[in-house]
Amino acid sequence: MERQKLTWPRFVRLADKYGVMILRWALALVGIGFATAPYLYMILQSLAPWREVNRRLIPSSLTTRSYEWLLQGSATAVARPWLRGFGNSVLVTSLSTLCMLVVAMLAGYALARLRFRGREGIYKFILFQMFYPAIILLVPQFLIVRYLGLYNTYAGMIIPRAVNIWAIFMYVSFFKSVNPAMLEAARIDGASETQVLFRIVIPLSRSITAVIGLFLFMERWVELLWDLIVVQEYPMMTLNVMIATMSGPYASYPGPLYAASVILTVPIILIFLVFSKHFTQGFKFILK
Amino acid sequence: MLTKKRLLTLVLVFALVLTTGAAAWANSAIFWTAPNPPQEVFWTEMAKRFMAENPEYNIQVFPMAEAPSSEATILTAIAGGTAPAASENIFIGFGAELYESAALVPLDTLEGWDELIAARNMEGAIKGWAFPDGHYYILPIYSNPILYGWRIDILEELGVDRIPETYEEIIEVARLAQKEGLFLMVRPALGMPTWWERWFDFFTLYNAISGDVPFITGSEITADDEAVIDVFKFYADLAKEKLILTQDIPDAFATDNAIWSELGPWTFPGWKEQYPEMVYGETFALTMPPIPEHHKDDAAGNTFADAKGLVLYAQASEEAKQAVWDFIRWVFADPAHDLLWMEATSLPPVRDDLADNPVFAEYLAKAPELVPYAESLAFAVPPFTHSDFADIQTVLSEEGLIPVVRGTKSPEQAWEDAKAAINGILNR
Amino acid sequence: MKRLSRGEGVTGWLFTIPYLAYTIIFFVLPFLWGLLLLVSEWNLISPVREFVGLGNLLEALQSRRVHAAALTPFKIMALFLPAVLIMSLGIAVLINSFKKRQGLLAVAFFLPYLASGVSMSLVVKGVVSYTSPVNKVISNIIGFVPDWLGTPSLAILVIALMIAWRFSGYYALIFLSGLQSIPGELYEAAQIDGAGRIKSFFKITLPQLYPALYSVLILAVGLMFGVFTEPYMLTGGGPNLATHTWYLEIYYQAFSTLRAGYASSIALYNAIAVFIVVGIVRRIMQAWGRAHGWED
Repeated sequence: MERQKLTWPRFVRLADKYGVMILRWALALVGIGFATAPYLYMILQSLAPWREVNRRLIPSSLTTRSYEWLLQGSATAVARPWLRGFGNSVLVTSLSTLCMLVVAMLAGYALARLRFRGREGIYKFILFQMFYPAIILLVPQFLIVRYLGLYNTYAGMIIPRAVNIWAIFMYVSFFKSVNPAMLEAARIDGASETQVLFRIVIPLSRSITAVIGLFLFMERWVELLWDLIVVQEYPMMTLNVMIATMSGPYASYPGPLYAASVILTVPIILIFLVFSKHFTQGFKFILK
Repeated sequence: MLTKKRLLTLVLVFALVLTTGAAAWANSAIFWTAPNPPQEVFWTEMAKRFMAENPEYNIQVFPMAEAPSSEATILTAIAGGTAPAASENIFIGFGAELYESAALVPLDTLEGWDELIAARNMEGAIKGWAFPDGHYYILPIYSNPILYGWRIDILEELGVDRIPETYEEIIEVARLAQKEGLFLMVRPALGMPTWWERWFDFFTLYNAISGDVPFITGSEITADDEAVIDVFKFYADLAKEKLILTQDIPDAFATDNAIWSELGPWTFPGWKEQYPEMVYGETFALTMPPIPEHHKDDAAGNTFADAKGLVLYAQASEEAKQAVWDFIRWVFADPAHDLLWMEATSLPPVRDDLADNPVFAEYLAKAPELVPYAESLAFAVPPFTHSDFADIQTVLSEEGLIPVVRGTKSPEQAWEDAKAAINGILNR
Repeated sequence: MKRLSRGEGVTGWLFTIPYLAYTIIFFVLPFLWGLLLLVSEWNLISPVREFVGLGNLLEALQSRRVHAAALTPFKIMALFLPAVLIMSLGIAVLINSFKKRQGLLAVAFFLPYLASGVSMSLVVKGVVSYTSPVNKVISNIIGFVPDWLGTPSLAILVIALMIAWRFSGYYALIFLSGLQSIPGELYEAAQIDGAGRIKSFFKITLPQLYPALYSVLILAVGLMFGVFTEPYMLTGGGPNLATHTWYLEIYYQAFSTLRAGYASSIALYNAIAVFIVVGIVRRIMQAWGRAHGWED
C-alpha cells in the first residue's frame, strides 16, 4: 500500500519529465518507419539476388544484377530505353510544371491585382473548372490531341497539361494577400505592369512558387492515365508509364522492375528534400 | 532567379538531346514487335542485319506496350493516327476487328507475295488465314500449341510413376501433392477477367474435349455445352479442395511450388537464364491437355493454338509500307532466319516443311523440349474469329470461369449466365 | 488611377491569354465535343458514326460493370476514411506535441505522398505474393495465407490502405496547421473546468479543427471516385468486379473496346455521382460546423 502511494505520483512525475518524450520519439520513429518502409523494401529487393526477390525481407547478399539486366539486357531480352524513359520523365515533368507555373502566375496576378473588363467572369469560370470533373474531358481531349497531330509526342503530354486550375487559384489568393501599397508605390514611380510583375511580384512569391511548383512537379511525375493514353512507343514513354506497361512482360523479373522503380522514386525524393525548407515555409499558405 | 535560369537551360538541353523521334526520311519505317522480350531480340537483330546489307533503309523496331493488352495499344495508336508501318503479334480475331475497320493492307495485293509464300514453304499453312473477302491480311509467323508441363521429378518423389491424363487422375495426384504442401497449379489469372488468359486455361481444356467445334460461328454461340461444363466442373473441383492456388507465386512451376502448369515455348528462354535446372525429360515433361474420364475414348485430343502473324497498317505512308514490306520479304526468304527465330523465341514458325527441312530437324535435335510442340501442331485449334473477342472472353471470365473457381456459382449456372451475357454482346 | 486603368485592362487580358487559349482548346472544345460523343456510337477509328440518342446513357444504367464501378468508391471509402483520419490526425497530434524539429517530422511523414502508384503497386504485389516474407509471418500466426487480392473484402482493404498510406502525411499537415491555429486559452479554460485530455480532445480540438476536417473530407471523398492506378496494376478490377472503378471502366470502354460515346456516358455518370456525394458530405459537415459555432 505504502509503495503504491509513493511510486504512482513519482512515476507520473518521471513520466512527465522523460517518459513522454521517449514515447513521443518512439511513436515518431515507428510512424516514419511505416512511412518509409515501402521505399526501403523496394531498394532492398532491387539489390537482392534474383531467387530471393519477394521471398526474403533482408537479402542474404547484395548484387547489382537487376540494374545491369535492366540497363544492358541479356540474351533473352533487349534492354529497354530506361534511361531515356527517365529523361522523358524529367523533360515532360519540368516543361509541364514550368508552363503551369508561368501561366498560373500571370493569370493569378492579373485576376487578383489588375482591373479589367471580364475579370469577375473569368474568376467565376475558374472556380467552375476547379470543381468540374476532368474525366468527362478525357476522351474528347484525346481526340483533340489526335486532331492537332500531337499524339505520341512530347507536346501531347505537355501541352494538355500546361495549365493547372488549382495553381491559378492559389496564386490569386496569394496575390490578393500582398500589400497593395507596395505595388502602387512602384506604379507611381512609373514602372509598367510587366516591370511590377518581374521586379516585385515574382521575387515576393518565391516561397509560394516553390511549394506550388513542388506539388505540380510531384503530381506530374507520377501521372499514369494521360501519359498511358497519349504515348504508345517506348522511346517516348515516361519512366512511370514504362514500368506500368512492363510489369506484365517482366512479371518473371521482379528484381529489375524494382530497380526501375528505384530509378523513378529516388530522384523525386531527393528533389523534395532539397526543397523541403521552402516546403515547410510555404505549405501553410497553401492550406488556407 | 539564378536557379530558375539554370533549370531552364537544363530543360532546353534535355529537349535538344531527346527530340530525336522517328526520323521521317524515305525508306524508313517503324515495326512493332510483341511485348515478349525474345521476339524483340529477334526483330532487332533482323533489322540490324537488313540495314547492314541495305544501308538505304531505316527500319526501327519497338516492342508494343501492354496497356493493358497489346491489342488495346494498337487500337489506341490507330485511333491516334500513329500506327506503325507493320507489327507482329496479331491473332486472327483481332485481325478481324482491324479488317472491319479497314485498318489493314491486303498483303496478297503487294508485289512479291506469291514468291514470299513459296520461299517460306507455307502454301498449305496459309490457307486457313484467308479473310471473308478472299484476301490475306495477316502473314502468319508462328503457331504455337499450348501444352501442359508436369514436374516429373516431384511426381517421382510422390510415388507417381505415370503422368495423369484424365481429370480424375489429376485430382488424385493433386491430393498427394497437397499433403506435401505443394499445389497442383498456381494460376492467379484464374481470378482475373483478363480476356486472353482464357486461351491458356479454358480453351486448352475445351479444345481437348470438343476438338474444333467452334465456340462461336458468325454471331451465334455454337460451343459444345457439355464440354464447357466439364471444364468448369474440373476447375470447381480443384478449387473446392484448394488443390490450385489463385494467388501469385512468381514462377511457381520452376520454383517447386506447383507440379502442373500450362506451358508455351516462350517460357524456355527465360528458364535458361533464371532456372537452368529445368531440363526437359529430367525435371519436367510435356503433355497434351487432360480430359475427363468419360471422354477417354471419344475426346478429340486437341489443344489451343496461339497463332500470331504480322500485318501492315493502311494508315502508314506508302514509303513506309514499301520499306517495311521489303524488310519482311527479306526476313522470310531465308530459312536461316526462321531458324534464328526458333533459337531466339522457341516458337514454331508456320512452315509446311518444319518437320522435314533438315535446317529445323537439326535444331530440334538440340532442343528436345520443342519437339512435342512441333508434333502437336496438327492438333492445335486457333482462337474463334469474332471482332468482339475481348468483350466475349471478358464476360466468359466474369460470368463463367471466375465465379466457378470462387465457388459462388454452379458450373451449369455459370455457363447459362455466360451464354446470356455473350448473346448480349453478339446481338449488340 | 483612372489614367492607368486602360493599360491595366490591356495587361490584364494579355496576362490571362495563355490561360484563356488553353481553356478554349482543352476545356470548352472538349466539353462540347463530349456532348456530341454522348449521343453517338463511334469506335474512334471507323469513318462511320451512328446517332444513338440516349442509347449510351441507358445502356450504362443497366451495365453490371457500371454498377460495380459505382459501388466501389463507397466500399473503399468505408475503410479508407477511418484509416486515413486516424493516421493523419495521429500524425498531426504527434508532430504538434514536439517543441522542436516539427519541420523535419513533417517532411518525413510527407514522403509517402511522393510515391508513384505504379511502383507502390509493384511493392504491394510482391508483399502479398504467396511466398512473401510478410505472408510467412502471417501464416505462422493465423495458420494460412490470406488471399489478399483474390478475396473481395481483402482486395478493397489493400487498395484502401495503399491510398491511406500515401495521403496520411499530406492530410496530417492540413490538420497540423489547424491544430496550431487553436487558441491555447481554450485548453486552459477547459483545464480549469476539470476536463481531461481525452475529453478536451473531443470537446475542443475536434470542433476547432472543423476547417481542416472539412477540407480533408472533401479531398478524401473526391479522391475515391478517381481511383485508377492501384486496381489497374493489381487486380484489373477483380475479383469478380469487386475493385472495379469508374476510371477503369471509362478507360476500358474508351481505349480497349474503343466505344467513345459509351465511355463518355459513363464519365457523365461519374461526374454526377461525385457532385451528389461531395454535396452531401459538404452539407453534413456544414451542419456539424454550425452546431459547433462555425459559420459557413
